[in-house]
Amino acid sequence: MAEETVFRLEDVYFSYLGRYPALCGISLDIKRGEKISVIGANGCGKSSLLHILDGLIFPDSGKISLCSKELKEDAFEDMAFSSDFRKKVGFVFQNSEVQLFCPTVKEDIVFGPLQMGKVKTEIKRRLDELAFVLNIEELLERSPHQLSIGEKRKVAIASVLIIDPEVIIMDEPTAGLDPLTTRHIIDLLTEASRSGKTIITATHDLHIVEEISDTVYVVSREKKIVGSGSPERILADTQLLKENNLVHIHSHKHRDATHAHPHLHIDHHH
Amino acid sequence: MFKNNNFIERSIKGALIFLKQAVFADEYALKKGFLQSLDPRIKAATFFLFILQALFIKNLFVLSCLYLLSLSLACFSRISPGFFIWRTWVFIPLFSLFIAIPALFSNFSPGETMVSFKVGALSLFITRQGIAGALLFVVRVAVSVSFTVLLSITTRHFELLRVLRIFKIPQIFVMTLGMCYRYVFLFVEIIENTYLAIKSRAGTNIHYKKGQRIVAWNIAYLWQRSYKLNEEVYKAMLSRGYKGDTFMLDELKFKARDWFWLVFVLSISVIFLATGVKI
Repeated sequence: MAEETVFRLEDVYFSYLGRYPALCGISLDIKRGEKISVIGANGCGKSSLLHILDGLIFPDSGKISLCSKELKEDAFEDMAFSSDFRKKVGFVFQNSEVQLFCPTVKEDIVFGPLQMGKVKTEIKRRLDELAFVLNIEELLERSPHQLSIGEKRKVAIASVLIIDPEVIIMDEPTAGLDPLTTRHIIDLLTEASRSGKTIITATHDLHIVEEISDTVYVVSREKKIVGSGSPERILADTQLLKENNLVHIHSHKHRDATHAHPHLHIDHHH
Repeated sequence: MFKNNNFIERSIKGALIFLKQAVFADEYALKKGFLQSLDPRIKAATFFLFILQALFIKNLFVLSCLYLLSLSLACFSRISPGFFIWRTWVFIPLFSLFIAIPALFSNFSPGETMVSFKVGALSLFITRQGIAGALLFVVRVAVSVSFTVLLSITTRHFELLRVLRIFKIPQIFVMTLGMCYRYVFLFVEIIENTYLAIKSRAGTNIHYKKGQRIVAWNIAYLWQRSYKLNEEVYKAMLSRGYKGDTFMLDELKFKARDWFWLVFVLSISVIFLATGVKI
């Protein structure tokens, strides 16, 4: 049986204010249960791509569909479709500050399922379960502004996991986090993937790409996909990574001799 | 920060200290004291009743009893009396000074002269009725401010917001207020960091005119940030299924303690009003 396509993007163009291009001719297929990473330098359009996948912005031209249903702005005016889409697709924003808008952590986490009309006893059960798994039980009654960056990120992830979406989209999930919290988040993603969820991650942290992806897409500064394939193949292609600002030439001394090589930032990861 | 004009620096510091104290005050709301254990709706309703009484009671002794009640409640709620008195008396002169001082004089409160003095060619007379009126007014303000502060420091801010629902304030308005409160702290952090960044690069040798330009530019920058944040937060809400309504997970429930407190407050209110309201 052929693998089911969840998202299909066909020649998608998007620009801000009709003047500043953010995506130029993006085409890709994402299969159910697949782990996808979108890598690229800052400002290459990764976040815009994820926003399009989450139905928050819409292409100027080209086509995007979820399970063969085209995602258009007017389609979201249909409450049944919109509600169904939000239950299926969860998005963890790059900036946790924007995602945590409620007065307390607990209210933030339950915001999504309450909006979707889920049963309150079930919401409470999921809340307790997630708080335990993410080790945020102590934070539930606190205000989001009192949390550290790592805690905010965990709460933002909890606010999406509680919806139990089929597709989890994450924008730079490990940016600015300490190694332990990064590890915790990668483990969560791996666990979510094992349970059959489709995981789409935008990152420029090459440390984590191998673990969180089956397929890697490289987006260039020209806002185009310039490479795709398995993480092993992409990470081995230093020329491609260098051209897209994902590696740099690292020069250092070994005794008296100066030695230079491409620095992938994955060499020191054990 | 800015040479010859530290007004802006003092204003920024003052605002930041006040807002940080608001966060710090949450610690009192988390203590296991008497008022903290009450349902926020009952607490707000009974405190509103106390404030109403303070407006109608004209007997200084009864008003003082109300003030003492607020102090006792603070003690039973594990609030340091020093902190509570400082917190309330910061506001009292602000609300009462400009009204109470003129009320001392015969021009506003004619009656038996207690003290007289001259300011230039102007003769001023402080009357007994004036002193009594000013004192009554100040104690009335003290009672009102004390109960307001007591309510705000023993109740977590999101519970206070939920209290607004009993006054039939639309949920969307309550939610917006909650978000304003939430994000004010983010902007406080931005202001503080901007202030430190300017200080680290420019030190204290900025001419006040340039300082004013920097501050104006920062106000514009902050406005842009808030506008962008507004868009992003809305997207984050949409992403989690926001449809224009808000819902609560836990509905508030009254306990036996709340009913006992209500009966107690109603009983003493009858006594206070019976003895304290004289025409």
